[in-house]
Amino acid sequence: MKPNFTQKVTNWGNYPVVEKEMRSEDSFKKIKDFVLNHNEIIARGNGRCYGDASLGESIFSTKKLNKFISFDRLNGVIECESGVLLSDVLEIAVPQGYFLYVTPGTKFISVGGAIASDVHGKNHHAEGCFSEYVIEFKLMTESGDIITCSREENSDKFWSTIGGMGLTGIILTAKFKLKNIESAYIRQESIKAENLDEIFKLFDESESWTYTVAWIDCLQKGKDIGRSILMRGEHAFQHELPQNLGKTPLRLKKKLQPTVPFYFPGFVLNALTVKLFNWLYYKKQSKKEVKNFIDYETFFYPLDAVNEWNKIYGKSGFIQYQMVIPKEAGKEGMKKILETIAKSGNGSFLAVLKLFGKHNPDAYNSFPMEGYTLALDFKVNSKLKKLVDQLDGIVQEFGGRIYLTKDSMSRSSLTNYLKNIRSSKFVSLQHKRIINNNS
Amino acid sequence: MIVLGSTSEVAQAFVEKALQEGEKFEKIYLFTSNKETTERFARHIDVKFLQQSEVIELDLTKEIDYNRFDTINSNVLFCAVGYLGEGTEEGLYDNKNTQRIIDINYSKLVPVMNYFAHKFENRRSGTIIGLSSVAGDRGRQSNFIYGSAKAAFTAYLSGLRNYLFDKKVHVLTIKPGFMATKMTEGLPLNPKLTASPRQAAACIYKAFKKQNNVAYVLPVWSIIMLIIRNIPEFIFKKLKL
Ligand SMILES: Cc1cc2nc3c(=O)[nH]c(=O)nc-3n(C[C@H](O)[C@H](O)[C@H](O)COP(=O)(O)OP(=O)(O)OC[C@H]3O[C@@H](n4cnc5c(N)ncnc54)[C@H](O)[C@@H]3O)c2cc1C
Repeated sequence: MKPNFTQKVTNWGNYPVVEKEMRSEDSFKKIKDFVLNHNEIIARGNGRCYGDASLGESIFSTKKLNKFISFDRLNGVIECESGVLLSDVLEIAVPQGYFLYVTPGTKFISVGGAIASDVHGKNHHAEGCFSEYVIEFKLMTESGDIITCSREENSDKFWSTIGGMGLTGIILTAKFKLKNIESAYIRQESIKAENLDEIFKLFDESESWTYTVAWIDCLQKGKDIGRSILMRGEHAFQHELPQNLGKTPLRLKKKLQPTVPFYFPGFVLNALTVKLFNWLYYKKQSKKEVKNFIDYETFFYPLDAVNEWNKIYGKSGFIQYQMVIPKEAGKEGMKKILETIAKSGNGSFLAVLKLFGKHNPDAYNSFPMEGYTLALDFKVNSKLKKLVDQLDGIVQEFGGRIYLTKDSMSRSSLTNYLKNIRSSKFVSLQHKRIINNNS
Repeated sequence: MIVLGSTSEVAQAFVEKALQEGEKFEKIYLFTSNKETTERFARHIDVKFLQQSEVIELDLTKEIDYNRFDTINSNVLFCAVGYLGEGTEEGLYDNKNTQRIIDINYSKLVPVMNYFAHKFENRRSGTIIGLSSVAGDRGRQSNFIYGSAKAAFTAYLSGLRNYLFDKKVHVLTIKPGFMATKMTEGLPLNPKLTASPRQAAACIYKAFKKQNNVAYVLPVWSIIMLIIRNIPEFIFKKLKL
């Protein structure tokens, strides 16, 4: 049997699906051989981007670059290979009293993916993107050479690689800072908002909180548009914790993880079920305001509690549509977006609203800019392209942009904030699509 | 713990699994033919578990100086040494290939195993875990040189188990079926029959704790191999397996 490295590859949204060569190597020498012997390469971490960003002719999977290199337990500086997952980092960091400065809504992403997408969390307004805490990384360039990139060394490559979507080379290792925590718990407040005005007011009032996020029931119409729940949180200090948690504040109990066993048939997620889900989610909280302590997993990664939940959307897959609209126009833009979705009947199972702080001008390829960001999941069907185009129109009108790591069908004028990444070697399907759209 | 074949992903996953479960080892001895990869792993377990280890080069195709191993002592030996080589179709009449397969999987490996088994016997404690293969359960036309070496290794382990039984040393034979590892990368394997290194490590750890004698990594393999072993020879010889 001769090896055949082509296989079906798809990212979290199960759309698009490609059949391409995918390889993984763990020695830098073999990675160099791979780079020199292939023409169009794109790195892939854990495939948690939703669309076509980490797909290409030859995919280099960092799955085998999964080793830790060092951990300075005194200063909270960790170094690892790029395929190490944030979940692996948390596993060793949390018991030592450390946490990630910035984490996205899933911990199953690689460190390389976190840098290449310059991910953000619920604390962008307060603490910025992942890159703020990156000290340096090693990058394999087109020639197969390995360069160290930091703010001082090869700083041009450092900044173009951050948010650069893998188009500048393969990140091999990275060193970054962790933040101190006293417990693995979050002091949380969740507050119901009846409509958009109220939720924006709540965001304004919560600006001093480190973490804020809102879940929107995006099928509401008229005066109920923007009905939502705001959640805000702080890492709990040990002395604040109730007695039962305070004894071993940095250890969580093991939980069972249910797995979605197969692709759900298409009819499961129709407008009605989505409506029901959102209604239940909203009603679950009967009080206007709830204050409690919850473990960090439940607070940051509610979706990770069900393995492979992406299969709920069926075999045709789904997209995540995440955009940002500048702050001044935020409310008006969001209203238009939500109205358009409600009208389309193409319900989103999940709608998450967050506040972004100022854009870091050095990290010019990063997605966040000061304003409001909304992330929506849509099942892929024949009507979706039209809806996306309508939404793109609104985002454009308000001077916003689309998050590349979730994009698979938006117009290129919303995604072409990427700069300094022209390479003939590192090419993704996404980048090709964007360039072709432009011409 | 002593690990033979430390670059094996299953071996590494097993070490991690054991450490995660809270097993304590004063030191882990990582024998390897690939120092670079193994040193990465040594650093990794140091960062992750504060686990001390030592990387020791061992090339089974060369002369072995056992004096180097004098001070090594432990109560678990995990042997994941394995070399697939060319299949019979391409490699049967290539003597170098044949020799290498036999050397690495059996003839040069057994003396090293014996060396440590002797230490275990003297201490009257410990567990020896050997990764053999379902390929050793019955010779098939596609890879029977490898299969025959593994069959010999399986027989060796079963004899060793018998011999060490009343010396309080336990021997566990693992028969992985298909595994998604470097060895099989790019081969068209049925995902239902293929275990990831992590899955395999979890199974092996369970068998280790339960003091099983022989364990298949995925349970379906015990059924498949039961059938394959029992096909009458006059039919079996005509099959394209
Ligand atoms: C449930 C869920 C919630 C999410 N929530 C958030 C969120 O709150 N905030 C947020 O910012 N994102 C969020 N994301 C998106 C996710 O964080 C990013 O897509 C992340 O980049 C995925 O990392 P990955 O390791 O899976 O990389 P992949 O998806 O495999 O790749 C993503 C990009 O990174 C590049 N890349 C990956 N590894 C390397 C490397 N070693 N060298 C160079 N380039 C590389 C790829 O080429 C690709 O362009 C979420 C995703 C999911 C599934």
